[in-house]
Amino acid sequence: MNTEINFHPNEKLLDSFAQGKLPAGMSIAISAHVELCNTCKENTSVAEVKAGVALLETSETKSSSEFDHLVADIVKQPQQKNIMVEPSAVNEIHMLDHSVKLPKALAKVASEGLVWKKLTGGINRAELLLDDETQCEFLYMKPGSQVPMHKHQGNEVTLVIDGSFFDELGCYRSSDFVVRNKDHMHEPASEEGCLCFAVLDSPVTFTRGMARLLNPMNRYKFRRATAKQAE
Amino acid sequence: MVPVALSKSLRASARESNNADGVDSDSSESLLIAVGNWQDIAAYNKLFSRFASKIFAMGIKLTGNEQLANDLVQEAMLSVWQKAPLFDLDRGSAKSWIFTLSRNRCFDLLRKLKRQPSCVTSDDIWPQHEGEENTALDREEIVSLVTQIAQIEKYCVQLPEQQQAVIEQIYIFDRTHEAAAEALKIPLGTLKSRLRLGLGKLRQLIGVEQ
Repeated sequence: MNTEINFHPNEKLLDSFAQGKLPAGMSIAISAHVELCNTCKENTSVAEVKAGVALLETSETKSSSEFDHLVADIVKQPQQKNIMVEPSAVNEIHMLDHSVKLPKALAKVASEGLVWKKLTGGINRAELLLDDETQCEFLYMKPGSQVPMHKHQGNEVTLVIDGSFFDELGCYRSSDFVVRNKDHMHEPASEEGCLCFAVLDSPVTFTRGMARLLNPMNRYKFRRATAKQAE
Repeated sequence: MVPVALSKSLRASARESNNADGVDSDSSESLLIAVGNWQDIAAYNKLFSRFASKIFAMGIKLTGNEQLANDLVQEAMLSVWQKAPLFDLDRGSAKSWIFTLSRNRCFDLLRKLKRQPSCVTSDDIWPQHEGEENTALDREEIVSLVTQIAQIEKYCVQLPEQQQAVIEQIYIFDRTHEAAAEALKIPLGTLKSRLRLGLGKLRQLIGVEQ
């Protein structure tokens, strides 16, 4: 946690996070980064103050007295004296030779049960259904593995949980929050192995080699995953 | 990105303006303290008339749906009542706190409406006290600390005054958390966090292994 973190969510993203406007998948990724990054923790507090000023200052279209009938029932309710947090069933992910402790938000979603699938090139992934706007997954890249060249139709956020990976633009280490925009083509690889949490707001398009064959399937899967939510 | 220094000063000024000592008893912070420490219904009514319409407007802004905005007022103001004992003055103003409660309820309401998986809730995304939950003070820990009382007194004076005051209330005057919060005119949540910080610091100073 003390090592330097080089990549962070930008101010706009943190503002939207503080306002509660982002889909759950994206919010989970930011929450996990914020837990690991003191700078972003401070900035989130500031963003919450700003959001509170902006959102609770809006012109009043309905008078408070119209809600007065609610008070009698509310004050009959018991108060909460202690912070209650249910411990997550899963707190860490076991890798080949060590275990990785997960940030709380990720531990919670991992507790729902991860089903790991092997992809080509030493990549394993476990998909999660968190909302109907994003596709989320834990990605494990074995030491020496490489993801085939691909680009995204939307944005991709990758939070490095453990280890490191690199692409044409740089090297990313534990707690880094990496954003890749639409049409950015890249070929991430990892020397030492890497565990990530990735959030995509649209399917990946593979552009080279046999992996291209995956494209139609990939789109189908994304549609299915999101359609299931919308039912 | 807001520089850390600026963010600190922002928060410091938020704290200053809400300092319970010498603030008029009608500030939202004082009202919240009264609701949290002794279930003051009159104080709750004041907070209600101050915030219900604002939360309604926020609901309209975030959801564009009047029914949802009505539900949000009910859920958020219920949270204000239920969680008032957890309000912590050291972490910001009453308004920011009420905003975060409202935002969280709004997030959950929208997900419920869209029937999204219930494995994610606002409490997972915005934990109330990051890294500090489950540290509810353990009696045995305290007893073992208190046995080293002579040392403690020596170290205690090195703590920030606010933390000293809390420790004095609890361990010298032997007051309950509630009574101590009342005596110091601070929210229960603030008392607990100062106690936690103070004891943590003491442990460090004494070199007690954690």
